[in-house]
Amino acid sequence: MKTAAKQSAATPRRAALNETRVWQVYARQKYDEPLHEIGNIVADDVELAKVYARSIYDEFPWIEMTLIPRDSIVTVIAS
Amino acid sequence: MVATAIDNAALFDVLSSLADNKHLLGRRYAYWSNGAPSLEAAVAAAAMVQDELGHARTLYPLLEQFAQGQADPQQLDPMTRDTRYRVAALDHEFAGWPDLIAANFLLDTALTTFFAAAQNSSYEPLHARAPKVLQEERLHFMNAEGWVARLANAGGAVRAHLVAALAPWWKESLCWFGPDDDPAMRRLYNDGVIDVTPDTLRSRFLAAVMPVLNRVGLEEPVEQDAQGEWRLTHALPWAQWDATTRRLG
Repeated sequence: MKTAAKQSAATPRRAALNETRVWQVYARQKYDEPLHEIGNIVADDVELAKVYARSIYDEFPWIEMTLIPRDSIVTVIAS
Repeated sequence: MVATAIDNAALFDVLSSLADNKHLLGRRYAYWSNGAPSLEAAVAAAAMVQDELGHARTLYPLLEQFAQGQADPQQLDPMTRDTRYRVAALDHEFAGWPDLIAANFLLDTALTTFFAAAQNSSYEPLHARAPKVLQEERLHFMNAEGWVARLANAGGAVRAHLVAALAPWWKESLCWFGPDDDPAMRRLYNDGVIDVTPDTLRSRFLAAVMPVLNRVGLEEPVEQDAQGEWRLTHALPWAQWDATTRRLG
């Protein structure tokens, strides 16, 4: 199997795989309750973020789950 | 009243292969659940372990219904089986995380392609199990897709390791469907157990994996015809492939 990309400079494997983007996870179990934060996960890729959220936060039969990148959250009033 | 045993070697062999491959996939995933690159990846791997072992647990009992299975009851329990209907690449532990991802991306997707073709199966146990398997495999494919992209885009030694890891699973996964005149798969097709022939199964498999590989610049010896169907441009090593155990070597 051939690669089409150029070989970049050697990178330590762990450093190359470290993920840094934090996603806040929101979910709810019933339609009459609001979405609320249940935790967070770290993933640089949105598809992996979905996999991780579903795998880690599987303790309840959620009817809705949403991911929000922490770096997109805008603070209006800082605590 | 004792139910009459099913005498269908083709279906028995394919079910055995599905069960063995899923059982071993689960065990191989489990080993790396503790060595994943991140906590999140470890939890996702552990979830896949539970799914694969669960799929195998629902398949092994079906073998008892077959005359071929009743002839040797020791082979019906995964803990006492010594026949190996799994692909050869599963004979050993994964050497690293990229090997887990390669198996997840290629072999797991190949088996899922089969279950998708069995959604309207004339064999009721497969028809009943296919929806749950396909639902759980959606997350498996998302995991594989995400990690193939991460490893490929990391470049350098990480990308090279992924390329090396994909090679053996590529051949095994493509061969698993059998040649287009494979007697077992042809019988399943003619009996309505699956809805397409081996070549079409292979084309569906390529339709799932090729867009992912193309996005990260990994070239494969395949092409799309005028109808958009994916076809191999190289021959598979059928001389080394065992049609009963569905494995190379």
